[in-house]
Amino acid sequence: MLEATDVWKVYETRGVETVALQGVNLVIDEGEFTALAGPSGSGKTTLLNLFGALDVPTRGTIHLEGQELSTLSSAQLAHLRLQKLGFIFQAYNLIPVLSARENVEFVMELQGVPAAERQERAMAMLAEVGLGDMADKRPMEMSGGQQQRVAVARAIVSRPRVVLADEPTANLDSKTAEKLLDLMQEMNQRHHVTFLFSTHDPMVIEKSRRTVRLRDGQVVDDELRAA
Amino acid sequence: MTALRAEPVMAAQGFLWGFMYALLRPVTWRMAWRNVGRNPRRTLIVGSAIAIGLGATIVAMAVNYGMIFEMVASAIRTEVGHVQVHGRGFDAKPGIEFRIEPDQGVGPELVAQLPEIVAWAPRVRGEGLVSSPRASAGVRLVAIDPVQEAQVSVIDESITEGHFLGDDPRRVLLGERLADRLQVGVDDKIVLSVQDVSGDLTGEAYRVAGLFRTPSRELDEGAVFLPIGEAQRLLGIGEAISEFVIVSNDDRQLAALAARLQERLGPDLEVRTWEELRPMLVSMIKIFDQMGWIMYAAIFIAMAFGIANVLLMSLYERIREIGIVLSLGMPPARLVASLMVESLILTLVGVACGLGVGLLGVWALADGIDLSAWADGLDAYGMSPVIVPVVRSSDLTQPLAIAVLTAILASLWPAIRAVRIRPAEAVRHV
Repeated sequence: MLEATDVWKVYETRGVETVALQGVNLVIDEGEFTALAGPSGSGKTTLLNLFGALDVPTRGTIHLEGQELSTLSSAQLAHLRLQKLGFIFQAYNLIPVLSARENVEFVMELQGVPAAERQERAMAMLAEVGLGDMADKRPMEMSGGQQQRVAVARAIVSRPRVVLADEPTANLDSKTAEKLLDLMQEMNQRHHVTFLFSTHDPMVIEKSRRTVRLRDGQVVDDELRAA
Repeated sequence: MTALRAEPVMAAQGFLWGFMYALLRPVTWRMAWRNVGRNPRRTLIVGSAIAIGLGATIVAMAVNYGMIFEMVASAIRTEVGHVQVHGRGFDAKPGIEFRIEPDQGVGPELVAQLPEIVAWAPRVRGEGLVSSPRASAGVRLVAIDPVQEAQVSVIDESITEGHFLGDDPRRVLLGERLADRLQVGVDDKIVLSVQDVSGDLTGEAYRVAGLFRTPSRELDEGAVFLPIGEAQRLLGIGEAISEFVIVSNDDRQLAALAARLQERLGPDLEVRTWEELRPMLVSMIKIFDQMGWIMYAAIFIAMAFGIANVLLMSLYERIREIGIVLSLGMPPARLVASLMVESLILTLVGVACGLGVGLLGVWALADGIDLSAWADGLDAYGMSPVIVPVVRSSDLTQPLAIAVLTAILASLWPAIRAVRIRPAEAVRHV
């Protein structure tokens, strides 16, 4: 499904080069629930961005369902993100001027899903993440955990092939984080959506079925757990 | 090669379609409206600046137009009428040699064929010398049929002393200023000398029936009104006239009326609308129109910087949010559309308030602005000392059109900045 082949990423700031990824090779298969683990600066967010078509590698290739991303224009990449990928970020994930339901509907609206179907799917998904009664609340009226649940609902409802989550529990207390992880696991199993997240949270690593460890921009360990 | 050229064209087409599609989506407008309301104080400041600037301009333009339309109305009411018929050549060289003879079909029978004509009057015009025992002055003779003239002009209502012309043929009207110059009053005698149609000098003595005051200094200082029959006799032109003045019930169709009259009367006569007879007034209206565009453009160019600044500030505050929507797959065209709609909403709210402020200002001045203190200067231009502001529909649609253009232009720079945002960096922006 996702494949990184000899991927290098070098950032240049005022003439100083920083190597974020050094020849990463990694394959993520359909239905996986995988964590990219590692300390800050290990390159996990960079790799996640490359898989998410948000950035392009300096060298090497990224394939999503057999399609090489570096050959696509920015408009095509945007279209690919819209149709095939879902995103969950650390915090402040939601559009503040939209209600929970409108946030969940947002990606479907971009996809051109008809209004009635959009509303029905959004309400069903909010009910599924336990927020059916908060559909009309704006993000600022919800707790961090509730906001992340809405973000999960938004990421799943558009029926993506892969959900990429960048440290989704970083700003949550452990109890809320665990509930969110359980929810994502449930979504992974129920909707057969591939989940790939970056984290340095031991609890997230423990709950993932596969953990890819990065250090200094290289894959140093790839551990698969029994389901 | 063709493929290479086709690619950017297709990309541009795709962008345009995406942009148009986004403009039609209710969610684009909903989000933009809510975004505009996110910082009420900032929105209020920019909205107020637009509203006050626009409102003041509308009032200023209304006063300007009030002034110029008053001049037009005054010219029509006091002398010109809507349409005039003359003998061919009169326009170039007004004089009794270019006359309308009784057999040329100008008169009540012509008027009867055209129902839009609501009033008409014949006149004889000439040049002459008016003398009193104390002074003399070169004057324009305006010979009128008192009954008919009262239908087309307000000269009968402009009498300040004495009375209007009546049955007595030996009576004339003088402007107050001319009477002052001649040092005569009502019932005093004056002598009118003219050159008749044969070129001989002739003259008659008349008594002053009344004095008039109009907004036209030219008329007040240099015209003598007398009965038309007297002038015809004095000038030796029989029953011929110099001018046939017409007032229509539809002042928007005067060119068509003039064309129909010209067609009926043939090439020996000239039919002219007030616009052709007073090209200076038309030029002034055009100049005011141009000034209106320039004033609105100046205001909105200044506003454009304010709006662009607000949008840029708002963009910077929402950089993470924009990173998120771009990550989610929002096409750049849609982002541009949403910023443009924000700019439009911000501008149009300001414009709506501005129109309100402007109309309120015009309403407050509806009784007119009294410029009597400067009346001596104003009447030289045929202006009334009281200016009533006039707002035309174009004075409201014009700023709207410029506002939309301003909103679009103001959003371009922020939009370019927005589409250059790299989502991967923006989502980590704090």
